[in-house]
Amino acid sequence: MTTPGSHVVELRAVSMNFEDKKVLDDVSLQVQPQDRLVVMGQSGSGKSTLLRLVLGILQPNEGAVFFKQFEITRLRRRKLQQVRRHIGMVYQYSALLSSRNVRDNVALPLEELTDKSRREIDSIVEEKLHLVGMQDSRELMPSELSGGMRKRVSLARALVLDPELILFDEPSAGLDPVISSVIDELIIDLTEKSKVTSIIVTHEMGSAFRIATRMAMLFQGKIIEDAPPDRFRQSTNPVVVQFLSGSTEGPILEGTQDAIATK
Amino acid sequence: MAEEKSENIPANPVLVVQEIGEVGENFFREVGSMFWFVVHTLDETWDRVRQGRVPFRAASFFRHTERAGVDSVPLVGLVSFFLGMTMALLTGYQLQRFGTERLVPGLVAIGFTRELGPLITGIMLAARIGAAFTAELGTMQVSEEVEAIEAMGIGPLRFLVAPRVLALFLLMPCLSTISNIAAIAASSLISRMYFNIAFVYFVDLVREALLIRDIITGVLKSFMFGLLIAAIACYRGLTVKGGAAGVGNATTSSVVTAITTVIGVDTLYNIVYVVFFP
Repeated sequence: MTTPGSHVVELRAVSMNFEDKKVLDDVSLQVQPQDRLVVMGQSGSGKSTLLRLVLGILQPNEGAVFFKQFEITRLRRRKLQQVRRHIGMVYQYSALLSSRNVRDNVALPLEELTDKSRREIDSIVEEKLHLVGMQDSRELMPSELSGGMRKRVSLARALVLDPELILFDEPSAGLDPVISSVIDELIIDLTEKSKVTSIIVTHEMGSAFRIATRMAMLFQGKIIEDAPPDRFRQSTNPVVVQFLSGSTEGPILEGTQDAIATK
Repeated sequence: MAEEKSENIPANPVLVVQEIGEVGENFFREVGSMFWFVVHTLDETWDRVRQGRVPFRAASFFRHTERAGVDSVPLVGLVSFFLGMTMALLTGYQLQRFGTERLVPGLVAIGFTRELGPLITGIMLAARIGAAFTAELGTMQVSEEVEAIEAMGIGPLRFLVAPRVLALFLLMPCLSTISNIAAIAASSLISRMYFNIAFVYFVDLVREALLIRDIITGVLKSFMFGLLIAAIACYRGLTVKGGAAGVGNATTSSVVTAITTVIGVDTLYNIVYVVFFP
């Protein structure tokens, strides 16, 4: 067993239940610096739960979660808040504050958590908005933006404190293929230029294979495959094979309501 | 189904006790979580102050004070004015039979400063502002905005709850005072029109009847109501579950809980006050 701290994120034997349902079952996972780990799995397989565990928003029923040398599961609130500043999160539905315009949304972490002057904040916001190509929408409210634009603003907000780790929850869900590629390229660019580590949760094959340096598949609460994309594609695991081909025949639907419905 | 139940209950006194127990347990659990909610909010805010930073921005605080306070003045003033008139009229006609209608000014003044002013203001603010706080925070909770704030490392209790609670806490006494003034002004009109009490005499009568401690009691009560209404509204908002319907349920529940609590606490306060400080 390695010492905590050599990985950016480490999950040790994490189990998580929601009432009676076991969402994660004894999951162990390590993320190395500058990895782009794509976590795949069906809807409701615990992918988003995984991200919330890393952020310390959810507490696992068993096991421990580390971010660098910090054991997230045992930190006190104040320390946890400090650690979270090094982690950026891009939500599936962007989660921009609807009462603030784009500029104020991106500036929020800077205003609340740093002592920077207004001028410094403005220049950082400008830089990050430029990075995601949203510099012309500064004054717009979130409700005036399209889904793709919101997601880009959300990415700018996640980047504003220069995090070491960025978590993406379904970054390309609900976006058209072109915008989805733009977002994918942004993610790759960021990790390559700024040496950021990222965990991306998705079930969109195309974007998964474009982004990933490593892929993991969650099935019934366990990680059943964890490999670089080229080896992942050749996996012989029946679940992975079925997932990649999108077939209705195979172990994924067995015994579920969906399987009964297709018969 | 209903028949089955009515047969079951007398046969199973254990079940009845169990159900009562469950209701009681849920009630105390709610009260407990609300208590800890307030404690955590204070704790998070205090933590921030100790780091030498402002707990929330003045702009955010003043936005809430404006909405909760300044914008509520017409409603509170108007309703209290009508109530003051009604109270003066009703009591005046009764007292007139004994020739003691000059008790009306004191009666309305004491009644409002000690009791009705804070109570009516509390009920109106629970409906007007409590509902708004719950719906607003509930929607933010449902759209993951609250979680996003937390994920950034910003304390959502300090950032969202503290300015709202403080705004209502500080503004309730001001609004109660407006309510008192409106009601007393209304009763002075009625006194002048129906009971031939001149304005100067009215003021004398009020000053004679009203004690400083009546005013202090009312103001203390108002602070307490403000805190209760805001805390209940924010708690209900941040604990919303289940989408748009959840927000609706939470808002209803927030208003009902806040009004019930305000009236309940008022009664308790009066009992304690009368028993211990007669």
